[in-house]
Amino acid sequence: MGIEKALRLVKDLPRVALNNIKNSPMDQKKPHNLRRGWGKNKTHGRGHKGQGQRMTLPKLGFETGHKPFYLRVPQEYYYEGHHLKRQYPPLSLLRLQRMIDMGCLDPNEVIDISSICMTGHYHLHVDRRHYGINLTEEGAEKFSTPICIEVQWASEMTIATIERLGGVIMTRFYDPLSLIALQDPETYFKTGKPIPKCKLPPTDAVEYYSDPKFRGYLADPEKIAEERVALSQKYGYDLPDLSESDKLSLLLKRKDPRQIFFGLHPGWIVNLTEKKILKPKAEYLQEYYHS
Amino acid sequence: MLGQTCRKITGSLNVSPRIEFKRYLWRNSICQQKIDITLKYTDEASGSIANKEPTLYEKFLKNPKSVPLITSRKLENCNKYRQPRQAWLETLSTVEDHKLGMLDLHPDIFAVHPRLDILYHNLRWQEFYKKIDYNWTPSRGDLDVSGGKQMPQKGSGRARNRNRSSIMFRTGAKPLGPKGPRALFYMLPKQYRVQGLCTALSFKYAQNNLHIVDSLEIPTDDPEYIQDLIDTRFWGFSALFVDDTDYMPENITYALAEFPSYNILPVYGLNVRDMLKHETLILTLAAVEKIEQKLLFHSSRNKRSSRFSMDTRYDQY
Repeated sequence: MGIEKALRLVKDLPRVALNNIKNSPMDQKKPHNLRRGWGKNKTHGRGHKGQGQRMTLPKLGFETGHKPFYLRVPQEYYYEGHHLKRQYPPLSLLRLQRMIDMGCLDPNEVIDISSICMTGHYHLHVDRRHYGINLTEEGAEKFSTPICIEVQWASEMTIATIERLGGVIMTRFYDPLSLIALQDPETYFKTGKPIPKCKLPPTDAVEYYSDPKFRGYLADPEKIAEERVALSQKYGYDLPDLSESDKLSLLLKRKDPRQIFFGLHPGWIVNLTEKKILKPKAEYLQEYYHS
Repeated sequence: MLGQTCRKITGSLNVSPRIEFKRYLWRNSICQQKIDITLKYTDEASGSIANKEPTLYEKFLKNPKSVPLITSRKLENCNKYRQPRQAWLETLSTVEDHKLGMLDLHPDIFAVHPRLDILYHNLRWQEFYKKIDYNWTPSRGDLDVSGGKQMPQKGSGRARNRNRSSIMFRTGAKPLGPKGPRALFYMLPKQYRVQGLCTALSFKYAQNNLHIVDSLEIPTDDPEYIQDLIDTRFWGFSALFVDDTDYMPENITYALAEFPSYNILPVYGLNVRDMLKHETLILTLAAVEKIEQKLLFHSSRNKRSSRFSMDTRYDQY
């Protein structure tokens, strides 16, 4: 609201009249220096003879005829824009199994991106355009625990291995501000900022996250059930009935598309020292966080 | 001069005339205009004075509750994220300050970013587009000097030379000096001019130097009345009254003719220099409507949208 602030300032300043109006300094052009001052006679700062005095100097970068430095190295378009693209650093199923065996991750709770980052065995750098976990297939034959896991990218094989064992896998998108909160919740809560509202995926990612084949969080649950059956037939395993398992309540746990943490809503401020949660009272804030 | 012409017209027609300001037209329709004036006067003479509509202030005096308190004037294409500005509706019918109501003003005209450099560009343009530089210095050929050699080539001990018009001589010509009448005319781009008017109005509003008035009708043509009015309201040393047309009421023209620092202007004469030169700006309600309509129209116009339109033909003024 720069305009409103400026108009409030103007109210208290002296009356704008013909005698106190100036041009902006960027528009004021410096006059061309003619070099006629004291000490600038005779050669006018140009020296004696030669290209310097006679205005015949070559163009900048010229190297007396051979190919100059700035033209020697050709342009390479292969990696153009690579530094701006979304990156999903990989985490193999082997490492995941190892973490579970070592006791870093609890299979009786939903395995979230924040729980994986807090183990210390997986690092996420949001400033390097890391957008989440890519669960790879390496170690698929050794994977042997039924889990409920939420990742950002998964291939068909990983989905099949997890579902064969009676687990549930979901792909879920988080925007960078939410990831900053997720990768290290403790430091984020210490900043005193409210829990952010997770944004929807960008246009080129919407297709992936609304596809039941990749178990996207925006996809139709009925279609996901159909795809589970189809995948079991494709890879040749019996699809276990989840309604008979002990961990049904765990496997059905889902987050709201705008929610980041289980049990916490966007807009809340968590005070760790006093062990309190502050919730917004104002209507406009509640409207914003519920939208 | 103007006062004399006014009194001649009153003497001949014996009615209260509307005084028209002189204005130079592009087409030679001045004759047409004179005929229109006479017809207008005769129409007024035939109509009775009793049928004249009472002014807003007269209505207010009779019954204060009859005068509507204007709180929501319809604003064209108002941005929903910007609040409209509000201003009092005052009257010139009494020396004391009576408020007849409150108006909404469009934020895109009366609350624009206060940019001084746009005002600077407008002021400079107003000064320079009319300027003609009459400076002229003679060059070698223009000097009235004989073409002969001043002294022999060799033998004098002095530098060699030809005629006296040489630039090296004390009495010689100036090389590349200013040559003749040179016009400094240029047109400031339209958006600068439109935004200049909007910023000047915004500054006047923000610094409490803008007053809106129902009309420029005053009870007497006594100059003291207007002076007292301006003094009681602390409107300052100079004031600019703006009406929507160039037909002004009689009393105010006679009264303000005595003061060089209080001036009247129709809407088409509104410019940045005059707004900043006068300390206060007084607009009539009709003038505000016209200003808003015109400035909004032009601020959102570009070459593409104006390509085949006949909206701003000068003969439809």
